[in-house]
Formats: sequence, C-alpha cells, structure tokens
Amino acid sequence: MKAPFAKFSPFHVDPEKVMKTFGIEDDDFNKASDAEKESMVEMHKSISYWKDALRRFRANTVSMVALFVFIACLFFAFIGPYLIPYNYADQYRTSQKLGPFEYSDDEKIARLAEGVGDGFYATAIRPGSITGIDPGNYCFRSGGKYYAFTITELTDKVIFILDRDAADPLKLYTETAVQNGAWADYTAISFSDTPAEGATQLKLVRKVFPHVFGTDSSGRDLMARTMYGARVSIIIGVVAALIVLIIGSLYGSISGLAGGPVDFVMMRIVELIYSIPEVLIVLLLQVVLKDPLKAWFDANSDTSAFVRAMSDLGAGIVSIFITFAVLYWVTMARIIRGQVLMLKKQEYVTAATALGASNGRIITKHLLPNCIGPLMITTCLQIPSAIFLESFLSFLGLGVSAPMASLGSLCSDALQTITLYPYRLVFPAIVLTIIVLTLNLVGDGLRDALDPRLKK
Amino acid sequence: MASYILKRVVGSILILLLIMVVTFFLMNAVPGSPFLTEKSTPEQIALANAKYGLDKPKYVQLWNYIKNYCKGDLGVSLKMQEGTPVKDIIFHQGKFELSIKLGIYALLLAIIVGIPLGCLAAYFRGSWLDGLLRVVTTIGVAIPGFVLAALLLIVFSVKLNIFPTRSENLPNFKSYVLPVISLASYYTCYIAKLMRTSMLDAINQDYIRTARAKGVKTGSIILKHALRNSLIPVVTYLGPVTAGIITGSFVIESTFSIPGLGKYFVQSVTSRDYPVIMATTVVLSALVIVMMLVVDIVYKIVDPRITLTAKED
Amino acid sequence: MEENKTLLKIEDLKVSFFTPAGEVKAVDGISYTLGYNEVMGIVGESGSGKSVEAYSIIGLLQNPGKVIGGSIEFEGEDLLAFTPEQMRLFRGNKVSMIFQNPMTCLNPVYTIGNQLTEVLNCHDNNISKKEAYDRAVEMLKLVGINNPEKRMKQYPHELSGGMRQRAMIAMALICSPKLLIADEPTTALDVTIQAQILELMKDLQKKENTSIIFITHNLGVVAEICDRVSVMYAGRIVEQGTVNEIFYNPQHPYTKKLLASIPRLDEETVERLVPIEGTPIDLLNPPQGCNFGPRCSDCMKICLRKKPPFAEVGEGHISACWLHFKDMIEKEAEKDE
Repeated sequence: MKAPFAKFSPFHVDPEKVMKTFGIEDDDFNKASDAEKESMVEMHKSISYWKDALRRFRANTVSMVALFVFIACLFFAFIGPYLIPYNYADQYRTSQKLGPFEYSDDEKIARLAEGVGDGFYATAIRPGSITGIDPGNYCFRSGGKYYAFTITELTDKVIFILDRDAADPLKLYTETAVQNGAWADYTAISFSDTPAEGATQLKLVRKVFPHVFGTDSSGRDLMARTMYGARVSIIIGVVAALIVLIIGSLYGSISGLAGGPVDFVMMRIVELIYSIPEVLIVLLLQVVLKDPLKAWFDANSDTSAFVRAMSDLGAGIVSIFITFAVLYWVTMARIIRGQVLMLKKQEYVTAATALGASNGRIITKHLLPNCIGPLMITTCLQIPSAIFLESFLSFLGLGVSAPMASLGSLCSDALQTITLYPYRLVFPAIVLTIIVLTLNLVGDGLRDALDPRLKK
Repeated sequence: MASYILKRVVGSILILLLIMVVTFFLMNAVPGSPFLTEKSTPEQIALANAKYGLDKPKYVQLWNYIKNYCKGDLGVSLKMQEGTPVKDIIFHQGKFELSIKLGIYALLLAIIVGIPLGCLAAYFRGSWLDGLLRVVTTIGVAIPGFVLAALLLIVFSVKLNIFPTRSENLPNFKSYVLPVISLASYYTCYIAKLMRTSMLDAINQDYIRTARAKGVKTGSIILKHALRNSLIPVVTYLGPVTAGIITGSFVIESTFSIPGLGKYFVQSVTSRDYPVIMATTVVLSALVIVMMLVVDIVYKIVDPRITLTAKED
Repeated sequence: MEENKTLLKIEDLKVSFFTPAGEVKAVDGISYTLGYNEVMGIVGESGSGKSVEAYSIIGLLQNPGKVIGGSIEFEGEDLLAFTPEQMRLFRGNKVSMIFQNPMTCLNPVYTIGNQLTEVLNCHDNNISKKEAYDRAVEMLKLVGINNPEKRMKQYPHELSGGMRQRAMIAMALICSPKLLIADEPTTALDVTIQAQILELMKDLQKKENTSIIFITHNLGVVAEICDRVSVMYAGRIVEQGTVNEIFYNPQHPYTKKLLASIPRLDEETVERLVPIEGTPIDLLNPPQGCNFGPRCSDCMKICLRKKPPFAEVGEGHISACWLHFKDMIEKEAEKDE
C-alpha cells in the first residue's frame, strides 16, 4: 500500500479545534431543509437560441456598424430622392458637365438673387426636359397669393425673385433677360388670389440645391441618379435573392426530404446546371429576353399591377430576375438539401418520429427552424452577388438602359469619360462598394451569430 | 483513377453538347439577323442565309454544328470577319492566347497571394495584422473588378503614367500588371478570407490537439497539419474562380483595350455572328469544365479520403 | 522503492475559463500526487473538470482557459514556469496524451507512418529516417497491429476505430514517456474493442513502466486498470483512495451515489439502480458551500455555508464531506460520556 496522502489529511486533530477553526456551531450538523437547499441552487438562466443569436449579433461591433451603414444606404436610396429637388431623369441643359458642388451660370444668378430676398428659382421647370420650359400658362403660390404668368416662346430657365420690400414684389427673369450674370431687366408679373384657370402649377425651390456629385454630360444631377441607381440595385439584389431563396429552398428541401431516386435525379440536374459556365448563358439570355419582354410589356401593361410594376422596372432588370430564377438557385438548393439531410439524421428527429409526430409537425417544428439560419445567411450573401451581376451586365451594355440608372450602369457610363471626369465613377462606385461591403459584413455577422460552431 | 478521368471526360463532352444545344436555341431566339443592316434588302438577306445554310430547318443547322465540331471545324464568321474560319479567329489571331495568359496569371496571383495571406491572418488572429488583412480583403470582395480596373487606370496610367493605358496585345510585363491585378483582386481577397476561415476551422480540430500533444512545433502544426486540411475548401473553390476569371476578363479586356476572347464573345453576341457565338461559348465552357476536372483531381491529391472511383455527394 | 518516488505533484490547481458570461471555475483547487509506475483514475461526470485538469498538465489549455493558481511539478520541475518551447519538448516526450475520439484525432491527410515518425523527428533532430521507421513499426507491433509495414502506408480513414486508437497509443508511447494521460480513451469505442484497448494499456503500462492518469466517467473501466482513484465533482476532488477503498468502502455521499447508479453483476441481491437526483451545479455561479450540497440527501446546514475540508477516512483514503466531522464529533461525545 502506498500512503502518499498524509500531508493532505490534517484532520486527525481534536474536533473541538476543528469546530473553532471553521466557526461551526452544533446546529450546523442538523439536516438542511429542502427549501434551504433550493435557495442555494441559483441556475443561471438559459437563453433561447434566437435571443442568444441576437445577443451575439449585437456584440459584434463590426456587423452592427455595417447594419447601420446599410440602413443609411437604404435611406439614401429610398428617402433621399424626396429630399433633393432633382430627378434622375431630368436633364438641365444649362447644367451639363458640372463637378461636385459646381454651379452653372444661371444657378449662380439664382444664388445671387437669394441675397436680395426670398429667391425662387427653377431651371427647366419640373419635370425637366432638354428643351427647357414649354410655352404655356403657369402659376405658383407664394405668401398666400397666386402668381400667374405666360411663357410665349421656348425658354431655358426661369428665375423668380421675391423682394418683399419693393412695391412690385416679384420679378421674373427669362433667358432673354439675363446677360452675363447681370439681372437688371425683368418682367413683372401679375398676381391674383385665385389660381389661373388651366395653368400648370409650379413647385419652386427656395434655394439652389448644389449638385453634390456633379452632373453628367446630359445635365442630369448625379446624386439623384446615384440615389435612383442605388434603389434599383438594391431592389434587384433583394428580389433576385428572394427568387433564389424560394426556388432554391423549395428544390433543395424537396430533394432532401424525398431522398432515393427523386433526390438522385434532382441532384444530377443541379450538377448539370452547376457545371455550365453560367455567365455565358446569362449574356445570351439577356440579349434574347430583352426585346420579347419589352414587346410583351407594351402589349400587356394594363392587365395587372404586377405586370405594370415589372414593366416599370424595364425589360433589362426583369431578364436579370429570370436568369437568376433559371441558373442561380443551385447553390441555395445544395445548401438546403445538405441541411435537410443532416437534420433528418439527427436523433431528435428520429425521436420525434418514434413518438409519432406527423411529417408536417417534424417539418415545421424541427426542420424549418433549424434551416432558417443557413437560409438567412445565404440569402443575405446572395444580395451582393446579384448586385454584382447586374453591374457586370450593365457594364457590358445589357441590364438597365438610360434614362434608368443602376449603380453598374452609372459606373459604366462614367468609364467613357473617366480621364476627364473621374468623380463620375468615384461616387457610384463608392456607394456600390459600401452597399456590397455592408451586406457582406451583415451576412458574416449573421453567420457568426446564428451558427456558433463556425465562429472564430 | 484513369477510369474516373475517362468517365469525367465523357461527362464533360455531354455537358458541352448540352451547352451547344442551349446556345443554339438561345442565339436563334435573339431577334434580328447577322445580315440585317440599313442597306440590306430582303433578297440580299435571303441570299446570304442560303449561302451560310441559315435557311435550312433548325434541327439540320444544329446537327451540322455538332457534326462539324466533332470534325474540329468551327465554321466561318458570318459578320465580324466575314468568311474567315472561326478557328483561325480564335486560335491564330492571338485572342485565345491573350485570354488564357491573362486568366492563368490572374489565377496564379490569386492562389499565390491569397493562400499565404489567409494563413497569416489565421496564425496572427486577433492581432493588428489580422485586422488589417480583414479590412483589406473585405473591401476587396466588395469592389467590382471593372471599378478597380478603372481606378487603377486613373491613378497609375493617367496620373502617374507608370503603366500603359491600353494593354493591347500585352507586349511586355508592364502591360500585364494592371489587368492581372484587377482581374485577380476579388478572387485573391476571397481566397484569403476562405483560407483564414478554413485554417481557423482546422486549428480547432482534434488532430491539431493531437499534434500539439505530440510536441510538434507551432510552425509545423500550421504548415503541415492545418494547411493541407484547410486547403480542401480552397481547392473546391478554384472551379468557380476559373469561371469567374473568364467572366471578369470580359470587362477587364474592354477596359484595358485587350483584344481577347472575352471581348470578342460579347461583340459576337451583339452582332449575332452565330458561328462565333457558338465557338466562343464552347471554347470558354470547355476551359471551365477542364478546370473543374483538374480541381477534382487536385482535390484527390490533397484529401486522401476522396475516392475518385465512386462519386460521392 | 522506486515507485514511491513522486513523479507528478499537483497542488491547489485552479483553472478558470473567462467566458463572456463570466468566470467559469472549471478546476477549483485540486491537489494530488502521482508516483512512478502508478495508474490514477480520475472519475467524474461531464463538466466536472477532469479533462481541463489533464490539459493543464500537458499545457494544452485552449483560450479562454487559464491556470490561475497552484502548481504542477513534474520530477521536481515546475511545469507552469516552462517556456512554450520547453513545454513543446516536454510534450510527447516525457508526457503524452491519448484522446477520446480516435476518429478525429488522427490527421486525415497523412499516413499513419508519417504521423508516428513525426513524434520522433520532433524530439530528436538526429534520428535517421530508417531508425524512425523501424521504431514506428516496432511500436505498431507492440500495440498489436498486425502487418505494421502495410499500416504505415495507410491513411487513418482506412483503419477501424479500435485500430486507430491502437495507433494513437503507439504514437503516445513512441518516445517512452514517463506519464501517459488518457482522456476517456475507450468511450468512443464499442464494448469489445474497449476491453481489448484496456487490456493493451494494462499490458503496456507494465512493459513500459509508464504512469497513467486515466480520465473516465466509466467506473467499470477504473476498476479494471487503476491503482488509485480520484472522484471529481464540479471542479473539486471529493474523494480519493485506492481502487478497493473507493469501490468497497466509499465514504463521500457522491461516490456512494455514483456507485449505486451503476449495475453490478457480482451482488446476490437484486437492487434497483438509483439515479442521482438534480443536475450538476452552474459553474458560473458556484454555491457558497459544498458543491454537492444541493443534490445531497444528507445535506446539513453547514454544507450550504462552507466548503468541506478533507478528512482522512482510511489509509491513503481521503474524503471531503462534513459528515465525517459530524461522525467524529459524535464519536468524541460518546467517548466523553
């Protein structure tokens, strides 16, 4: 026998002494009640999977920042256009080829007018057109009064200056009146309390809004176009990702659940599509679909709201959706099938089956909730790849066409004048990069949060 | 092994056939005719159609394509270089060579730079280097290739005048730099990210713990035990990378004015030059398919668990 | 007597994991010594800290685990003061380890031979290829793998589970270490293979004169192979003694319950198996008193207030329970009367 423990058993000693050392009272050797025992057990609360995932996502600073930046991009793309007076399609003839924060000559005059009183100004009264303002009757409202005037010939720009101190408070400048920035001549216009019959009411801009990103060669405001392009790109990304999500997850889960020969055949089809270099086919599809789609939209645009919405997006974008629906769902299908196969083998699913749970219950209670993680992650990461594909196609002259804009088409337009106006590329490219970047980061954060096994 | 490769080659030929059929129907569905110009009369078009066999039934045309392709005859161009055999256009005018060179250099760059960067980031995880690499690679996968190409062009060619703005036929090393970098950047960053993740994944495996318990040096643990295992996902990604690089070359070639196959393909689609569309599609697809095969074989070398005789899912 | 000399001495070892939720005291002050050529079993349920303790001996604690107190002495040297390089040379050479799951513990992309000779190359720069190969073949033979030359060229996935664990043992013993830590080496194997592996380890232990720390939750395995047993509960040793003492004269309520919860074939009377009520404590928030208190049917008031010290209850047999003190006091009282 070995006895190496002598040093660890110092309690051959007098019990009295032990009692003293440890401060034990006689009562302490009485049995503890269950309630006392209970009170000692303080289990730390278990957190549900989703709450835990949310906590992990919140703790991920990078992903949180990315999420906020992405939300800012959404504001930029969807709210932004209502905050600036320019429209993506308006062409201001006098404002062509301006750099960021540059003003055209008449915009400078209007800015001068701001110094005098409340300046109102309109170039190419909305909605803008390259031909300026058509002849006709116009009116606008200011200070509770209606002002009416008539334009008899084609006019490029109209500047109103409301000078409250002067006897005749309103001055109207048309192109002929302005020379070299001097604005001595003006036409006074009459005002009345009631709107003129049949006149077009104008919305006026109190201040000349700067062209923050500059303008393009047709005099379109680039910030408005970038906002609009961002909106188009985000819509394309989200819709394409949803298409992929629906088709891919349906296909994948059917294949995974069915198993056997059905699964075999379905997976061979997936492999086939997977090994086709899809972009070659996409390019062909784009060209093929464009004209027939356009014709079909023209013929059917009145039939339903859905068709109208599609035709508003344009044939280029819809054919992008179609190519996604045809070719890009295979990755999603593979992931979901793998997930379903893995889950099917899990003991808790076997246990549920053994306990007599119905198929429907197993799918809704066990398979779906466990698939949501990968579904969300893949969908989130699918959006940037759709945006990429669209920009790629727009670059090659497919995808969206002018005056519509997407971030890709803006970049592609800018490339033609890249040496002269590099900022035209820089702004949409930065917005595109930020959107893709933040979506990637949010996707990564989701993956880390939803799948702790993949963390680190 | 040999029987596996044979099987795969047969499968690849079937896929190419399928691609031919799909391409044929797609390009015939494109409205318009290669001979349609502002001046052409219906008679002229009919004449040209008869000359090139476009008046025959579609299935006969398709059969002719397949028959001729088996013989190695890719047909003649209808429009872009009328009358010139497509084979000569692709292989003898340097287009194929240019695209291949560009693609291979970009692929090599992505592998040679991406893998070590990923390893470094994983090894120094949590350090400033890891942070820096994460920022760079994350931004790298968010910039489209053509945007990067344009930015590089502006900075290095226009402003600094270090590299030529038009790379043309890639006469010297300098003309390669910008196109290859723009083509490879996305994939370099993606591979680096993938490598970092899979390296970290490998580091947490039981066999790494065993290696540590054996007293293996840290460097050796990373380079021997973790690296080879973590290469497996990267190798599987190389197939899609090849496809992506070929795709990317379409835009890079037009940005840097390189008369390669990618640019030519896009032009052929817009000018409806049927034999050229078919030939470029088949050649580019074959490239991707061959690369997929190579990837599967490399996969086998890296991971002895994969048996090439039985196809596993 | 050589075997009485101390090989490993652990004193008041404390290991904590610093998780986002707080500090988890995985090992909370354990002490024991291990002699040369001795087999010590460490028994406890999942999460009792038995593996963590072993990992800290061999220096394989992963982040966020940290040794925060106590000492580990191996042949008189303080392991906690070793540099990483010293620790590396120590691992696999003087101490080696085998793990629970032989399926995942061998690197799938290298041959068995490669992984075996690697250990030798790591600890002896001068060893020739031939020597290393011969030694590896010899080790494979020793662990009862037939046709070792063929196995050397094979990959782990081409071997069965039992065969892989044998290869792991060969790898662990190839440098003739003084101490082998076996972390549940038989848990993942099926019962017949378990018995073979145990037999092999017993055999090799005698042949190679290696001390073994055998970590398991399987009391049957402990009875089979160990000289002494430490029973761990929630990061602490609750009872320690020779195999016979622990099995036939358990003193701590936890050990008693543990023994009552396993089926025995040698008893004449048929008894019901008794499960241990309740769940293990939350290590993030350990109770102030005895860790087992809340689950103990004999729990006293003191047990909820103070952690019990060790009492020597037999020769080389110690147990940490206040009941022993109660008995002692009662005996004293009887004596006095």
